[in-house]
Amino acid sequence: MKRKVLSIVMAGIMILGLGACGSSSSTTSTSSAAASTAQSTSSASAASSASAADTSAAESTASSSTSIPAVDPNTNGAEEITLWHYFDSSADAKAIVEKCNEYNKLQSKVHITPTYVSRTELMNQYTIGAVSGELPDIGMVDSPDMESYISLGVFEDVTDELGSWDELSNFYAGPLSSCKDASGKLYGLPQNSNCLCLAVNMDLLNKAGITDVPKSMDDFKKAVEATTDSANSVFGYAMCAISTEEGTFQLLPWIVATHDGTKSSLSDLTNANCDPGLDMLGSFVKNGNMSSECVNWTQADAYNQFCAGKAALAEVGTWHMATMSKDVNGTFNYKICLLPTGDSGTSSSTIGGENFGICTGCKDKAACVEFLKWFMSADQEAKWAVLAGKLPVRSDAKPEYTYEQDAFATFQDEMNYALARGPHAQWPTISEQLYTAAQKVLLQGTSASDALAAAWTVISPILQESPLPQQ
Amino acid sequence: MKTQIRSRKDRECYPFILPAFIYLLVVVGYPIVYNFVLSFKNTNVKNLASGSSVFIGFQNYKELFTDPTFLLILRNTFIFTIACLAFQFTIGFLFALFFYKKFTFAGPIRGMILVSYMIPMSVTGLLGQNIFLNTGLINDLLSRIGITGPEWLTQTSTALIGVIIMNNWVGIPFNMLLLISGLSNVPQEVYESSSIDGATKVQQFFQITLPLMKDAIFAVLMLGFIYTFRAFDLMYIMTAGGPLNSTDVLATYSYTLSFTQYQFSKGSAVAVVLFLCLLIVGLFYLRLIVKGEEDT
Repeated sequence: MKRKVLSIVMAGIMILGLGACGSSSSTTSTSSAAASTAQSTSSASAASSASAADTSAAESTASSSTSIPAVDPNTNGAEEITLWHYFDSSADAKAIVEKCNEYNKLQSKVHITPTYVSRTELMNQYTIGAVSGELPDIGMVDSPDMESYISLGVFEDVTDELGSWDELSNFYAGPLSSCKDASGKLYGLPQNSNCLCLAVNMDLLNKAGITDVPKSMDDFKKAVEATTDSANSVFGYAMCAISTEEGTFQLLPWIVATHDGTKSSLSDLTNANCDPGLDMLGSFVKNGNMSSECVNWTQADAYNQFCAGKAALAEVGTWHMATMSKDVNGTFNYKICLLPTGDSGTSSSTIGGENFGICTGCKDKAACVEFLKWFMSADQEAKWAVLAGKLPVRSDAKPEYTYEQDAFATFQDEMNYALARGPHAQWPTISEQLYTAAQKVLLQGTSASDALAAAWTVISPILQESPLPQQ
Repeated sequence: MKTQIRSRKDRECYPFILPAFIYLLVVVGYPIVYNFVLSFKNTNVKNLASGSSVFIGFQNYKELFTDPTFLLILRNTFIFTIACLAFQFTIGFLFALFFYKKFTFAGPIRGMILVSYMIPMSVTGLLGQNIFLNTGLINDLLSRIGITGPEWLTQTSTALIGVIIMNNWVGIPFNMLLLISGLSNVPQEVYESSSIDGATKVQQFFQITLPLMKDAIFAVLMLGFIYTFRAFDLMYIMTAGGPLNSTDVLATYSYTLSFTQYQFSKGSAVAVVLFLCLLIVGLFYLRLIVKGEEDT
């Protein structure tokens, strides 16, 4: 009998173990992937692309053939400062190593060691590190996630060190606000910005008898319908509506837009002005103007559809400009224009970008702050924007783009109409409700008003407790 | 007297299993107990850092079992597991019976079938993504015979079927492998003597093969249930749980709640539900084993 009981207990533990292998990742397990520090140049894996919100996560860049320099391993006795990032396009990945090496040569007090960790794994490590305390000295984070990680205690308050920096006023308010908590305390600095615009295949547009890029949602709808060519498997429009933050990033401009002179807002999803954009996207899927696969597409997938000539119009990000010319490879003429999400002449978009924060338990806060001040100086910001196909986060940074100048000017203009996601500690829950509502419209034919009303039942109590900042 | 000797021998054995027991206690036992405790608290993004979470009893479980999304995901998990087990086991058994026979190229073909089992699940997920595209391999083949295939991974009604097919692709060779080793334990003499007595092949299968493989079959089914029920990587890569949670299972939902939405306690409660389901299956299997030992 004893043996029977013991065997049951032991086997039970075995089952527990197997169960734990499958599920305990929710609370306890870590992955050794975080420790893999290869300066990877590979394009993003499915896993990372599934969650990369708005960065150059999944496509190679114009300089993909450029090799990434090695991190100078010789610290020369300087204090080592670890920096974790998820820059995985070759231009970004190369630039971050070069910048760290440059800074290490400029001074001898500290040695910055950049380490690549895939985005998904990095976010997991921050969550685990919030409990275990195993964090880098400086960490990179997608701007809408920063508030959540501040709440989790991942980043350290650096208001005393950075708050009085006289150059802080040169930073754009939107990106800078994503580095602050609800009480206005500062936890890091924004490093780059981006937003979304519309890419138009001018050859297909002209072939459909339309000469100019769409300037209103009505124009846009006509253009998408006219350029759809089912016989040749060409869709009028391609975008990403995947069930991750990446989907929310691309869907937001169609929810928050100006209709009949009034701009809708995330603070009231029951407003009828939130509906027209989503309803139109639903009709695109229903009528074959947009592939239903958009619910599984990452931004890179939608971009690839455009570059392959399989979509006449597509929602693209600033970072795509680094590669678009090469990827289109002269097969058609294209233009970048403001996202025509509402009334004629109005537009809306979403702000993306990365921040660098100083992590809790950082071994030399003052030195890390000095590095961030140098890294986000006007001169470095301008250089980075050109290198990586991004927009600077400072008004006094003047990048001299050597390619796609017109497109970058359009993206810079679009920033005036772009919406920041949050900052809000429960943004991930809000985001989940938004992409779920959109997928109901796209796949199940639910009306936008019903889908958004369902989402609002979850979002409303969250915003009542802690409202989104006014934009 | 015999009992005394046996009990003394048992006591002598305990020190030998002690290291493994301590290892399990620390590495497996502690996280599971911690997970249980966490599931009864309200730990989330707002109170993790301050440590101000409090015990809320069964509130997380109450919320889960009244949440239509969780109930859908629970249903998905059982449908996925049962469908995978049924197909994997049946087809795996047929393959095992077939490849157990000695014929030319049996070995190489068996080896080729095992390739899908050797491919990492993340790669299988990526393959599945491409095979089940609207214009992917499956729909292309269907169109050649005049059938318009469904939009596999973008429709809530078909996405889970696509994931089940890919999981079967991996699971069938695994089942075949285990069942072939079970078949090799059935003595050939029994078949020979039953042939002399005039038994047909069907009678041999039901009267000899199945009963003598009972233990192997139960082992395959139980292991299959556990491995399938806690599936994560395939749907995470292939569909990210979408569209509209149609391919989400308990493991992916637990991950999403904890690591994407930072609802740590709720994520733990989902993990506990997953664990309890597996424990019930495990205890059921153990009872059968113990009963079998007593019978023999």
